[in-house]
Amino acid sequence: MPPEPTHDERLAEFEARIARGEKIEPGDWMPDRYRQQLIRMISQHAHSEIVGMLPEGAWIGHAPSLRRKLILIAKVQDEAGHGQYLYHAAESLGAERQDLIDALLSGKAKYSNIFNYPTLTWADVGMIGWLVDGAAIKNQTMLTGASYGPYSRAMVRICAEETFHYKQGKEMVSLYAQGTPRQRKMAQDALDRWWWPSLMMFGPPDDDSPNSAVLMRWGIKLRSNDTLRQEFIDEIVPELHAAGLRIPDTDLRYDTDSGHWRTGPIDWDEFWRVIQGGGPMNRERLRARREAHDDGLWVREAMAAYASRLAVTSDQ
Amino acid sequence: MDTQWPRWEVFKQDRPDKPYEAVGTVHAPDAEVALLNARDVFVRRPECHSLWVTPEAAVVRLTAEELAAQPAWLDESPGNAAADEIYHLFCRNNFRRSMVAVTYVGQVVAASPADAMRQAVQRQHADDTVLWWVVADSALTRSNDDDIASMFEPALEKTYRDQSTYRGRIFEGRRRGGTVKEVPGS
Ligand SMILES: [Fe+2]
Ligand SMILES: [Fe+2]
Repeated sequence: MPPEPTHDERLAEFEARIARGEKIEPGDWMPDRYRQQLIRMISQHAHSEIVGMLPEGAWIGHAPSLRRKLILIAKVQDEAGHGQYLYHAAESLGAERQDLIDALLSGKAKYSNIFNYPTLTWADVGMIGWLVDGAAIKNQTMLTGASYGPYSRAMVRICAEETFHYKQGKEMVSLYAQGTPRQRKMAQDALDRWWWPSLMMFGPPDDDSPNSAVLMRWGIKLRSNDTLRQEFIDEIVPELHAAGLRIPDTDLRYDTDSGHWRTGPIDWDEFWRVIQGGGPMNRERLRARREAHDDGLWVREAMAAYASRLAVTSDQ
Repeated sequence: MDTQWPRWEVFKQDRPDKPYEAVGTVHAPDAEVALLNARDVFVRRPECHSLWVTPEAAVVRLTAEELAAQPAWLDESPGNAAADEIYHLFCRNNFRRSMVAVTYVGQVVAASPADAMRQAVQRQHADDTVLWWVVADSALTRSNDDDIASMFEPALEKTYRDQSTYRGRIFEGRRRGGTVKEVPGS
């Protein structure tokens, strides 16, 4: 028998595997910190999908047509599915879904800041699809290349569905932006409120992002927050302009030298205030999640009781 | 009492001529509910012809890294007279991006899960095979043909879930090299 490799030898081989573009699979050796960072990232991501159902779900009963209602229900169902794909990836690392959900419901776990803002009008539903799902696609497309196999696979599955979310939002808002004066006003108002929070979705600026170096070396994060944010801005600004909307940033300008759109400064104080619980909807989101969880308890109990009776009968 | 229920591994077959693929897991109190949850989680869109579910613990797994550390899996073993159980074999042959973990490659008759895995490894052993899964046939619960109309066909009509439905002037600009070509006011 060859001698057991040391921790450093294993770490070197692990990093070499990632550098070669191999995927780490459940059962393979991995550093504890890799496992912990992945569970933290993946569960936050899962929680975001689940909490993300709330702002849009609130409008299902108020959709202006059957077609829009079917689209919205389908999108919200997709987000529930995305949550499950991601909890599955975290479970493959040894996490228990119950513990992850408990951490969400107790307020210990984080989820995407964007969902702590309210959906005040119907146009917000479309604007979320266009901007929020549009921004999420950038991050998720990057993560399809993540070094951990189950996370990468969940991302590929999610990205295939997200394009529908983005397109239905873009279609809806573009129609309103060229519609009646009231529709145009509603579309512009939605953009005014969602523009800056959408840019914040990519996370703090690179010089304020402490975990990034090791996450990049281990292939969990492949591109920096600011890189992804700039790419999103460069794509979405011409789209919004083409729809006839005005972006709420007086500093916004096209830099011909670099070929990039440059925005004014992002209000990071607001970002940190909302993350720490000071957003308009933080309390309401958790209240709604807890209520849904508690209201579903009798269903889970009834199904468990039925399953245990089934087990007894089939033993006889 | 609260519970998240046990996990069930889900295998999906898109069309009768396609192999089953491991798409992920669901939580459910029993196999029947596992099939229903698998439908909701993995068949919101076409295509699906059939689903298999099995308790997550019933799947025996091996990775290429584990095989390298335990090469005894590759030792030829004499034919086992006691072999009488059917096992299904699934593999993954590359690290390419995809949404499935492993794909069905065939079945063997084996005396135990370990025996089935040994046969799987010997049968599917190339440098590029990175994952092997085996599942006893008796541990599987399957949807049947009668379920297709109620469980899978409704997804066919939900074309609004398909991104290609969203066409027209505003989508004509295609993303190229990180920019979107759209003429203002066109
Ligand atoms: Fe999603
Ligand atoms: Fe989405």
